[in-house]
Amino acid sequence: MNEMSKNENLDIQIYNFAYLDENTKRMIRRALLKALCIPGYQVPFSSREMPMPYGWGTGGIQVTSACLIPKDILKVIDQGADDTTNAVSIRKFFQKTANVAVTEKTSDASLIQTRHRIPETKLKEKQILVYQVPIPEPLRFLEPRETETRKMHALSEYGLMYVKLYEDIAKHGHIETAYAYPVKTNGNYVTDPSPIPKFDNPKMNNSPAIQLFGAGREQRIYAIPPYTNVKSLDFEDYPFEAMKANFKCSICGSSDSYLDEIIVSDDGKRSYICSDTDYCKEQTKLNSKKED
Amino acid sequence: MENYPFSENSINSSIAFRSLVNATSYPGRTFQINKLNKPSVLSNAAATILITLCDNESNVYLSKEYNTEEVRNWLIFNTGAIISNKKNADFVIGTWKSLLPLNEFKIGVPEYPERSATLIIEETKYKKVKCNIDGPGIKNKLNIDLPNPELFIENNNLYPLGLDFYFTNDLEILSIPRSTKINIIKSEH
Ligand SMILES: [Zn+2]
Repeated sequence: MNEMSKNENLDIQIYNFAYLDENTKRMIRRALLKALCIPGYQVPFSSREMPMPYGWGTGGIQVTSACLIPKDILKVIDQGADDTTNAVSIRKFFQKTANVAVTEKTSDASLIQTRHRIPETKLKEKQILVYQVPIPEPLRFLEPRETETRKMHALSEYGLMYVKLYEDIAKHGHIETAYAYPVKTNGNYVTDPSPIPKFDNPKMNNSPAIQLFGAGREQRIYAIPPYTNVKSLDFEDYPFEAMKANFKCSICGSSDSYLDEIIVSDDGKRSYICSDTDYCKEQTKLNSKKED
Repeated sequence: MENYPFSENSINSSIAFRSLVNATSYPGRTFQINKLNKPSVLSNAAATILITLCDNESNVYLSKEYNTEEVRNWLIFNTGAIISNKKNADFVIGTWKSLLPLNEFKIGVPEYPERSATLIIEETKYKKVKCNIDGPGIKNKLNIDLPNPELFIENNNLYPLGLDFYFTNDLEILSIPRSTKINIIKSEH
């Protein structure tokens, strides 16, 4: 454990709640509050070594660690599922280091850490959604230099971004970008929503919940406060569309949730199921009630 | 396995910080802070903000009423913060009147708008003007009383640069970040 101190009288070890030491938390907490004051702007922070490799959500884990309180009920999802290796190991990590309660139910959770999805169940006030972010800079693929992207954000110089999206339309007849589709936050900063499917983008807009983003390797924190305008970039003649596969979930029958394509037999037969496993369970329960 | 011996400090600071997250996320609404050991001149809420956020990289400006030996010693002992002038301050504490004019405090720079001061306004004995606020974190327009609302309007006009405010009163905290838009409601007479 990091930074543990010894209580000599009782000879027991005193741990920092939720792993990170107080000095690190102070630095992250200052960054988080400024991030909330400047929606969509990426605040630099000094990322700490975590007991798991980059790519495992170390940015999200540090944000969660700085926000967690003892009475939190934590949910962790990876691609919508609570039972993947990544989600399970992060959940276990906070059970061990913060002794918090955990849940798979979106509506019961007070803090949700996520990779690649926003839950289908509508979030509520004071719920915190922590996103794991691999590349926080939406302009990175246009301009690799940090000094330049900073200037572009400072001057709201987003013309190149629109050019890139429009090239897509010219080439393919529609915008190809299906994940990490860029948004404009509070009419100001162009922001990377993390690699969620664009189907999830509208859920970010005007949400009652608090959305926090952590990028560990890239050392950036940003936020979308509740009730904030989040608009997916688009054009008058090509408005943004949050499309999904036009199928029903083969488990719960839902046609309004984001679906994963799965191969169900050796001869390559395909089927579709909800990516959000909690939502699928809830819908299945509702269906069986209706039948009763 | 059941009860880990977490340090009391790290639990208290987590609870305090969560109140700050809520207050900052939902401007214009009042949130509760817990009591703590602090100098008598400081409110619990103001002391909580300082002790939760400051470290030895934080410059703190204390206005005249708060710049006492007791406050300085408490702050330096608990956080290592540096007592600073207005111009360099990351955190500012004072009554509303004592902090005017606001234009000496740092508002950040276009490439780094977060390098700006956070102002903690103690006491509520200022001339209140009825205002209507809107912006990120505010569901429906909210009515609140503010001192010199024209200064908050000016501050919002600097967005994304600007100052971020917390109003503190005993155990209560309310935030007005730079993103909040202010409309003055005409006084009725
Ligand atoms: Zn389903």
